[in-house]
Amino acid sequence: MSSGPAPGKREKARAAGRVGVQGRGWSRARKATSCLAILGTWEVVAHSGWVSPLLLPSIAGVLQEAARMAGNLSLFMHVGHSVYRALVGFLLATVVGVIIGFLMGRFRAAELALERFFAVTYPVPKISIYPILVFIFGLGNVSKIALIFLECVYPMVINTYYGTRAVNPLLFWAARNMGAGPAVIFRRVVIPAAAPHIFSGIRIAMPIALVLVVITEMIGSNNGLGYLIIYSSASFRSRDMFVGILGIGVVGFIFDNLLVWARRRLIFWERETRFVA
Amino acid sequence: MKRRHGRVWRAAQSYASLLGLVVLWQGLYGLGWLPEYLLGPSVIVAQFGEMVTSGELFGHLRSSLVRSYAGFLAGSLLGIGLGLLSGISRRAEDLFNPLISLTYPIPKIAILPVLIVWFGIGDASKILVILLACFYPVFINAYYGARAVDRLHVWSALNMGATPAQIFRRIVLPTALPQIFSGLRVALALSFILLFSAEMIGASSGLGFLISFAEANLRFDIMFVAIVTIAILGFANDRLLVYVRQRALTWEARRR
Amino acid sequence: MALLEIRGLRKAFERGGTPIVALENLNLSVGEGEFVTIVGPSGCGKSTLLHILGGFEELSGGEVLVNGRAIGGPGRDRGMVFQEFALFPWRTALGNVLWGVELEGRPRGEALEVAERYLEMVGLLPFKDLYPHELSGGMKQRVALARVLAFDPRVLLMDEPFGSLDAQTRELMQEELNRIWEQTGKTVLFVTHDIEEAIYLGDRVLVLTARPGTIKEVVEIKLPRPRDIQVKKQEPYIAYRNAIWDLLREEVLKSRLDVPGVAAETP
Ligand SMILES: Nc1ncnc2c1ncn2[C@@H]1O[C@H](COP(=O)(O)OP(=O)(O)O)[C@@H](O)[C@H]1O
Ligand SMILES: [Mg+2]
Repeated sequence: MSSGPAPGKREKARAAGRVGVQGRGWSRARKATSCLAILGTWEVVAHSGWVSPLLLPSIAGVLQEAARMAGNLSLFMHVGHSVYRALVGFLLATVVGVIIGFLMGRFRAAELALERFFAVTYPVPKISIYPILVFIFGLGNVSKIALIFLECVYPMVINTYYGTRAVNPLLFWAARNMGAGPAVIFRRVVIPAAAPHIFSGIRIAMPIALVLVVITEMIGSNNGLGYLIIYSSASFRSRDMFVGILGIGVVGFIFDNLLVWARRRLIFWERETRFVA
Repeated sequence: MKRRHGRVWRAAQSYASLLGLVVLWQGLYGLGWLPEYLLGPSVIVAQFGEMVTSGELFGHLRSSLVRSYAGFLAGSLLGIGLGLLSGISRRAEDLFNPLISLTYPIPKIAILPVLIVWFGIGDASKILVILLACFYPVFINAYYGARAVDRLHVWSALNMGATPAQIFRRIVLPTALPQIFSGLRVALALSFILLFSAEMIGASSGLGFLISFAEANLRFDIMFVAIVTIAILGFANDRLLVYVRQRALTWEARRR
Repeated sequence: MALLEIRGLRKAFERGGTPIVALENLNLSVGEGEFVTIVGPSGCGKSTLLHILGGFEELSGGEVLVNGRAIGGPGRDRGMVFQEFALFPWRTALGNVLWGVELEGRPRGEALEVAERYLEMVGLLPFKDLYPHELSGGMKQRVALARVLAFDPRVLLMDEPFGSLDAQTRELMQEELNRIWEQTGKTVLFVTHDIEEAIYLGDRVLVLTARPGTIKEVVEIKLPRPRDIQVKKQEPYIAYRNAIWDLLREEVLKSRLDVPGVAAETP
């Protein structure tokens, strides 16, 4: 888990290890081309009449539909439901996961009792028990949040556990030397020292929460972006379908950037470990 | 001697919690304290045996495995290839990275209905959505892995007269490999999530289908057999990947 | 009565079933205000000794008394300066020094004043708002020293504190520490692998044997105080250096022959 190389070093590594280093202007132009080419081709094909608009609506049409749905607020309603479910499940998982991970990392008894359980069940796709959750909690918000919680709690537990164990033991000694008790050590040594690992867990859990909110809304719901997508597809309203995809994409984009921003603010003393998901 | 005893004892202790859970579950079931949709382990094992001998389970297992492996392998290979390419070539980076960062935040499952509209509800759309989901984490990790190559390694290789192909094979690839494996592990987990949800949303075979079929017919025994099979599948594949990783990275200090 | 009494101290580590004896029958008594430096071949148990005195590690035999009472765990009466600094990376230089003072529950303003005074003492006040990753090795070392001085322990335990500094900075820090010690009158146990440093700073230099570590010889340094760095050029200083060098050489050679024991040495 090493942190990334310093920017200067990285730039030089690039200069040495790469073919085709050219001026910045060229590079910038090339960066825009791939996106523009794809979007352009899409728009041309959509307008050409070669494919049915049911298969590929024009981008202009999708944006127009998005504006209409934003106007009558139905878009915000769907976004709101999805964000609510994803966020509640994710936040619960973060709080519970950090506590369990900390206990496992610091106390032998908790480690013995829980470590194997989490290690063995981690790779099991929790989506398989969604029907049971539906039986227990019904088709409403609770079963969805419960599934998101279940799937997100694992990366949080495992990362906090490793983070807690990776805290430099000298920091504990230094803190005890200054007379700190266990509570002070948890709050003022473990939490900040394990924070980079905890954030890696968050970075893995957040996209998972979004995937699961869409899946559960597709399987059984009457609102949310997953519902919007599956319902529109079933009723051949391809514009609405793409509005749903666009919506969840924007939500994902905002969440991801919020996380990056928060990490930079909160864990300024350490470079980000390269992310995994 | 004493040490080995200690290790076995420790392993037993750490697995005790899992075993305890199963025993508790069976106990509660035996006492009839569980709701009707929570069957006991004994019933599940019996039904499991029945579905194995009748061969019913294997048909679903095969459908699921074909879809997930096809999607996972294709998506991973594509991700490794393009990711490494972007990591070493500025041109490729400029071409791919903007597209990747634009589409990365979209949960790929959201595109499944589009793929179904385009390619029908058969295997193609499922394999494609898994391919897409696996591609991104592998691409991103391969890219960063290749970028982490130490300039001094490249210089000393050039100094010894290595060709670009040799530098790629003997420096870039080994440097990026640990990172690629982290990407593969995430991709594997995602592939199963997507597989089962795609099968639950629309399929006529596969373990995900089996779950929704059992649910619709209130056959909880079948449902649990499917869940247990999925659990074993997810666990076994993860172990397999970890094993391959260890074989491939013998030089890397083994980490827990 | 001496401030610090070590009687028959023994420490053994269990590694893979076989015990490694790090310290054996070590006796020492240190008076209030004394500056004791410790040298010995690497792996002989110098760090282990300080860790036991700090109360971070248990002893396996003998006793350690501070002010006549056996130690039971870490305490603010014994401040440890770790070789690796052990600064909290998420706190500024000032924040690190403040950390220990805050735990006393003094009012904020007063605590701040104390922390700033000690940063001033080590000459780092202008850099108080920098984070550890923005500080050089020498600066980090000063912060670590200030952090310990700020909670006012009676005994300072210092484990090769200047080991990772370049020669110039090291000499500056030696002078600084000498000055601070004369100013505060603390009792200091100072581990080093630099003989010159040991002589320049110490009232006594303990030479430890190869593992299992015990005291080979105690050399009284009868150089006048206050000392300045010029003392290093004078005749008696050089005589001390040669004598200690010979003692150490014997032990280093011994530990070289003891090949399995060379094994891993903890930093
Ligand atoms: N936690 C430990 N477990 C096992 N052996 C240890 C431990 N700490 C130190 N040792 C051993 O004790 C001996 C003394 O170590 P140390 O006190 O660090 O030496 P030094 O004099 O170089 O500071 C070494 O041989 C080391 O390997
Ligand atoms: Mg040492």
